[in-house]
Amino acid sequence: MKKKLVAALVAAAMVLSLAACGGKSDGGSSGGSGGSGSAGGEMYYNNYLMTEPSTLDSIKGNDNYSRGILINTMEPLTRLVEKDGEQVREAAGAESWESNEDGTVWTFKIRDNKWSDGQEVTAEDYAYGITQTLNPEAGSPNSFFTASFIKNGSKVVNGEASVEELGVKAVDDKTLEITLEAPTPYFMSLTDTRACYPVRKDFVEKYGETYGSEAENFIGNGPFKIESWVHNSEITLVKNEDYWDADNVKLDKVHYAIINDETAVFNSFDSGQLDTCSTGSEEWVGRFDKKEGVERLDAVIPSMRFDFFNVKDELFSNLNIRKAFVLAVDREDMAKTIYQDMHIPAYWWVPQAVSTGELGDYRDQIEGPLEKMAKEEDAKELLLKGMEELNLGSDPSKLTVKYSMSATTQWARNYGEYVQQKYKDVLGVNIELDFNEWSTFQQKTNSGEYQMGNMIWGTDYDDPMSMISLFTTENSSNIPTNWSNEEFDSLIAQAGKEMDEAKRVELYAQAEEILFNEGCNICPLVNEMQHIFRYSYVKNVDKKYTSTSGAKYIYIEGR
Amino acid sequence: MAKFIAKRIGYMLLTLFIVITATFFLMHSIPGDPLAHMARNLPEQTRANYYEKYGLDKSTPEQYVIFMKNLLTKGEMGESLRYPGREVTDTLMTNSSVSAKPGGLALVVGLVIGIVLGIIAALNKNKWPDYIVMFIAILGITVPVFVLASVLQYVFSVKLMVLPTTGWGSWKNVVLPVVVLSFGTIATYARYVKSNMLDVMGQDYILTAEAKGVSRFNVVKSHVLKNSFLPCMTLLVGQVSGIFTGSFVVEKIFGIPGLGFYYINSINDRDYTMIIGTTIFAAALFVFVQLVVDIAYSLMDPRIRVK
Repeated sequence: MKKKLVAALVAAAMVLSLAACGGKSDGGSSGGSGGSGSAGGEMYYNNYLMTEPSTLDSIKGNDNYSRGILINTMEPLTRLVEKDGEQVREAAGAESWESNEDGTVWTFKIRDNKWSDGQEVTAEDYAYGITQTLNPEAGSPNSFFTASFIKNGSKVVNGEASVEELGVKAVDDKTLEITLEAPTPYFMSLTDTRACYPVRKDFVEKYGETYGSEAENFIGNGPFKIESWVHNSEITLVKNEDYWDADNVKLDKVHYAIINDETAVFNSFDSGQLDTCSTGSEEWVGRFDKKEGVERLDAVIPSMRFDFFNVKDELFSNLNIRKAFVLAVDREDMAKTIYQDMHIPAYWWVPQAVSTGELGDYRDQIEGPLEKMAKEEDAKELLLKGMEELNLGSDPSKLTVKYSMSATTQWARNYGEYVQQKYKDVLGVNIELDFNEWSTFQQKTNSGEYQMGNMIWGTDYDDPMSMISLFTTENSSNIPTNWSNEEFDSLIAQAGKEMDEAKRVELYAQAEEILFNEGCNICPLVNEMQHIFRYSYVKNVDKKYTSTSGAKYIYIEGR
Repeated sequence: MAKFIAKRIGYMLLTLFIVITATFFLMHSIPGDPLAHMARNLPEQTRANYYEKYGLDKSTPEQYVIFMKNLLTKGEMGESLRYPGREVTDTLMTNSSVSAKPGGLALVVGLVIGIVLGIIAALNKNKWPDYIVMFIAILGITVPVFVLASVLQYVFSVKLMVLPTTGWGSWKNVVLPVVVLSFGTIATYARYVKSNMLDVMGQDYILTAEAKGVSRFNVVKSHVLKNSFLPCMTLLVGQVSGIFTGSFVVEKIFGIPGLGFYYINSINDRDYTMIIGTTIFAAALFVFVQLVVDIAYSLMDPRIRVK
């Protein structure tokens, strides 16, 4: 009897091992690079994306993930690259450019370059990309980049003028002419955004809705072309031999693994399957700091984490109350306790790492307005003053403020408790926490059904205008605080036309003063930083976040 | 029999109809906007065009009628709102076949090991093999998959470096997910088979068989196993359909481009077409497998047919 049982078990084990074998041949047949990247002789770079790009159509997509792919597969008019530690704007898709005397008409000479199918790149391709971005029919979320600058841009976007009236035209095959509404001093910093990428009209028309949704339905003219895109898994780029500057492109391949899980990213980096990773967690920074052959790069990101107030709310309609809430935050403590010193305490709205032309970093020139304010005024006094003005008595503990957050994670909950405790300690007010999913949060704040909210916002192009102009009456829907100030609007309008860098910086500084002295509709918390780790065999990577060189100049030595 | 099957199919379609209708109205009633992922607010005209293009400017009942019409006449579920240019049906087909590889393998492995362990435990009740099996079973049920997945990933990918952390395409990518996914199945079946077997072994007809002098092996083979496996088939329904719908957590950790991702993220993104698509897929699969199991039941157990 025992023997039979053993026989049965052996049989079972055999079935089991067969099943396992089936698995092997099954998976193996589909092949693939598998991420170990041991291709002989090829120079490759293993990077990653945290989320699948929504589309590679530069007109329709606006996520950061597709941005990372597009910067390598498209050739913008110019690129912002680092040379000897300095950022310079380099000629890329445009060989040269010039403007008329008052700076309203810009003429770009398009370089001889080829699309990855061998066709010549023309001025018409750039004109089409720029025009479609503003064409309301195409439904681009990127029209805000250029709408207010290019002649008739806003009208076209709002359906008040036809696309033919737009100030963009291909004079001939190699000449692109862009006419602006008014002189725009930082216009060149828009030329490497996706709003100005070239797009092949025949490709868009051929593939229609599916353009950019698969590797095959997409065409580029950049240093790399897309070899494959397995949705939600991996994107592989290969060197584009037809690229005009192919001699300076060293990498043969760039792999982007798409990994949604943070720990999996760190494990992949730790085991060498990724050549780089970026983290905001102290624990992992500590671990990778100890790792051999790895270099750390801390870079400030021009991005802010902040609270914002609904000025139409009864309580926050009062300036002193808003000021009290802004000044009550101990930014040093928050950066340390909540962010474990991974981000910098922020006393400003225009973040660090935003430059103003030749004058360099804006924040190096202008002191954060909150630093001064914090020294002069007291949060509790302001609160009591504001309560008196609103006839709310003198007992802050009777006030309850709803604090809306755009996440429901454990982290958000811890953060919320911290905020709750701090406001209780400093001002004595009660905070009611309100956790939302992002889309619910957006709907609430857009419709004004909130008191104060928490958000992150980063620059879209490298100029203080990108951040400061968010609070003009015209742009107020993006961070819906419902605040509006004529003097602020006019300063921003002036700065938008001021060609003298120093004067422009001065105008920005004045506007930022007003934003805090008279608005205080936002409460900056921290300026974001990224902590990037790379194996030391990865060479020649641009250090600044705002660089748009992509992987063009990266090479690998001694892997 | 034909009448039985026809009736079951009728119920199946009714169930699907209710699920689709309820999901459609529920998802449109939750606050949020499919354009929210774009972070920036779109210009008025662009937003209007976008809504018009996807028919979102119409009332929910109107949208429902259009959707049902397209689904029934053309079998179309529309384009994803979050990933422009991708048909929901394509995503469902491609990604479910990815999920099915580790999922199916894990089910086979889990079933075989689970049943074998269950048999061993039942035949050695209250002896050490039983204790070991039950220990494994308790672990399998109590240890959350994300813990197991992270631990295995750390050990085999980071420390031993024998398997890749994430990725898709090589058999090496399937090993850890299969182990993780099968662990729960092993535990479930080991316990279930054991208790069913013990239950059957206490029945009078087993005593009769043993009294007739049938060898223990033959008793187990011909009487115990068949009768104790039957209830296990009910468990199978959820698991077989689960193969194709994938596991969000395991797929996320091991970077498997399966369907699990879309179940969770489509809701957060308010990607209406994808929400309804994934729901229909899961519901249809579930009722279909249920039907197959019901038929199999009636073939194997005459008592059910009579009812």
